[in-house]
Amino acid sequence: MEMINVNGLSFQYPESASYALDGVNLRLKQGEFVVVGGPSGCGKSTLLHLLKREIAPHGSPSGDISYFGKSLDEWEERVLMEEIGLVLQDPENQIIMDDVMQELVFGMENLGYSPIDMRLRLAEMVHTFSVEHLLNQKTTTLSGGQKQQLNLLSALLLKPKLLLLDEPTSQLDPVAAKDLLVMLERLSKELGITVIVVEHRLEELFDKADRIVFMQEGKIAYDGKSREVIHQVFKQQDTSFLPYIPAISQMYLEMEHSPTVNQIPLNVNEGKAWLASLPAMDQMIKKENGKSTENPKPIIELKDVYYQYEKSSSMVLSKLSLSLKKGDFYAVMGGNGSGKTTLLKTCLGLLKPQRGIVKRFGRKLTNKSVNRVHQNIAYLSQQPHTFFIQDSIEKEMLLITEQHEIQDSEQQIDSLLNTFGIEHLRNRHPYDCSGGEIQKAALACMLLTKPTILLMDEPTKGLDPISKIKLQSILRRLHSEGLTILMVTHDIEFTARIATKCAMIFDGKITAEAPPHSFFKGNYFYTTSINRVTQNSQFPEVLTLEEAVHSWQERELA
Amino acid sequence: MYFNHPIFLVTILLLLIFVNISHDGGKDLRKWLPTLSIMSTLIILINPFLVSRGTTILFYFRGKQVTVEAFMYGITMALFIAIILVIFISFNIILNGNRFLYIFSKFLPRIALMIMMAIRFVPLMKRRLDEIGDVQRLRGMSMTVGSLKTRVRSGMLRIQILLTWSLEEAVHVSNSMKARGYGSEGKKSSYTPYYMEKRDWFWLFVLASLMVVCFYGGKLGYGQMIIYPELGPWQFFQFDWVVFFCMLILTSFPLITEGREKLRWK
Repeated sequence: MEMINVNGLSFQYPESASYALDGVNLRLKQGEFVVVGGPSGCGKSTLLHLLKREIAPHGSPSGDISYFGKSLDEWEERVLMEEIGLVLQDPENQIIMDDVMQELVFGMENLGYSPIDMRLRLAEMVHTFSVEHLLNQKTTTLSGGQKQQLNLLSALLLKPKLLLLDEPTSQLDPVAAKDLLVMLERLSKELGITVIVVEHRLEELFDKADRIVFMQEGKIAYDGKSREVIHQVFKQQDTSFLPYIPAISQMYLEMEHSPTVNQIPLNVNEGKAWLASLPAMDQMIKKENGKSTENPKPIIELKDVYYQYEKSSSMVLSKLSLSLKKGDFYAVMGGNGSGKTTLLKTCLGLLKPQRGIVKRFGRKLTNKSVNRVHQNIAYLSQQPHTFFIQDSIEKEMLLITEQHEIQDSEQQIDSLLNTFGIEHLRNRHPYDCSGGEIQKAALACMLLTKPTILLMDEPTKGLDPISKIKLQSILRRLHSEGLTILMVTHDIEFTARIATKCAMIFDGKITAEAPPHSFFKGNYFYTTSINRVTQNSQFPEVLTLEEAVHSWQERELA
Repeated sequence: MYFNHPIFLVTILLLLIFVNISHDGGKDLRKWLPTLSIMSTLIILINPFLVSRGTTILFYFRGKQVTVEAFMYGITMALFIAIILVIFISFNIILNGNRFLYIFSKFLPRIALMIMMAIRFVPLMKRRLDEIGDVQRLRGMSMTVGSLKTRVRSGMLRIQILLTWSLEEAVHVSNSMKARGYGSEGKKSSYTPYYMEKRDWFWLFVLASLMVVCFYGGKLGYGQMIIYPELGPWQFFQFDWVVFFCMLILTSFPLITEGREKLRWK
């Protein structure tokens, strides 16, 4: 049965010359699991918000959206409110109440359900998803993933038939994201709820979705089953969507001489099966190009550092030692709450450890020196917009050149804006930029003072794949120009492609430290999907797609 | 002032302090302790020098009489204020967000919800401000170094960033609320995990009766001591004891219920 029929929908934001949506046609059957992807600003969020009438953006729409054959405007307000549920991007912003229980019933209270009715639904929901342990907690004590689950549940309590999700996992770590997606899959499979997810991180979703829709510049670019869309994108070598395609599928398409649509592997299991079906090749032991043994000076040195936030709380860092050498691109990985951010803040001198020595540039950190050496250190936080105090990016950069008395400021600013490809954002207000843009702008501003070291906290959080690739090339370039980089991250694929040294933080200590190759190759779970496919196969073990393709070509030539 | 007999007041204060300790081990109370002691001492010291009523003169201070009565009055006043403060601390611990909302949403549903949200957003804003502080400190906008003017300036800038950021985020908050039917027509109902059970009604009745006895006694002048113009006798009359006993149960009711649970689980 047809549930949603979007017919020739166009939409223009006020005071905007271009169309955010331009003649979109989309038909959804009941029970479908649809994933909508596309670069930032392609109109996917606008489309999603237009489907939920209460929060439809202001502007001039044309065309028609019908829900079960009747235009959205003709439906009664209350019915739509109940039947169309919504979960937004940031888990923090959707929680209003102090208690989990109150938060869950918030929607039902607003719609005036009777207490008995509420109790029944709540009991049922809590039991089905076994979240009893959360019920009596304060919402502030929940983790990001639990918060997003709570948001999903509170939308579900109104018994929606259609669930809209706007980048629900972008602020979550990979494990929490996976949990949420599993929950979504369950909703779709077991309850037949129609789900529309707008998302950047598609690797997992391709496998789960019934249908993939790619949008570009307000139009629908691709629409179809996962494998069909992958095949089409690959066939056309559409660079704006290739980064969205799971690495395993890409590997298949790159290496298979006559790929068939139905055989495209979407997950590790299918990938392994495909590899096993290929004729075996003799192992070629790739020699690691031995790095020079010179020993550069450590820039940041932590020795036996202990840190705890409160007297009664547990140790976040305990006997942690780390040394960041000049020219390193060091990635610290680890689970949620393992102390990654604490480690970063200790390196920055923002937190003073209870015991242990923190040295920077060979000197011990004191309160004074934290304030003094800021020129040498750049810190990209998870919220890059907190950096900006002026109302345009250019003004911000001018202010910095003034503060630090930098010569030929105009020229410097121009060249940095060019390097980062954000010349067009020059006069933009920082808050009007997308996540990727603001990150680049903040980096450009920081580099004005020519720092020797850059520290980053989860730089890939919430970025779409295209921005990620851009960030990657920028960081590579900065690194090759001699910048030392320390980042903490969850993003395995990103780290594997870019870092020169990886470390895992666990139980308050750095437990493993190695170059990415040796770091990831032994790992069973904690490694890239390509590596999981090629592990223990008759093919050389590789980490990234580029590497796989490279080694393959080498072999063909040989 | 209802009961002003120092023995009454001291007993009430001690019991309430115990009640408070039973909530959270006296954590909140300890924070208030300095304020409480300074305030009480000031009242006790200042009152006799400002007020010269009363007949039993201790000594003269700059030609004004300092009386025992005024001292006594100061002490009762200090005790009284201490009691109110301790009750307030207990109130704060016990009537946290949810229960507050439950009680007040009956009369002022919208305002209660707004207060609730405001309370919830305080820690969130605090976290954001910390984050801003970190980032700005590292770019050299410190609040601990430099002249007062630059410090104030960088402080203001932080607040400005906080406001811009929070306003930006507030759009999402309101979207999420609207999506779940906030502000829609029709009456808002209330799901509440709190019920009046039979025993609740029973104890409410008991407490109310005790209250009535106390009020009645107080009205007749029991539990009170004459201070002005001349300090009355400390002695308790028969009905004083009755009122005292009722008051004792009334104030220690939380302790009794909590204590019973403690004993049961030993």
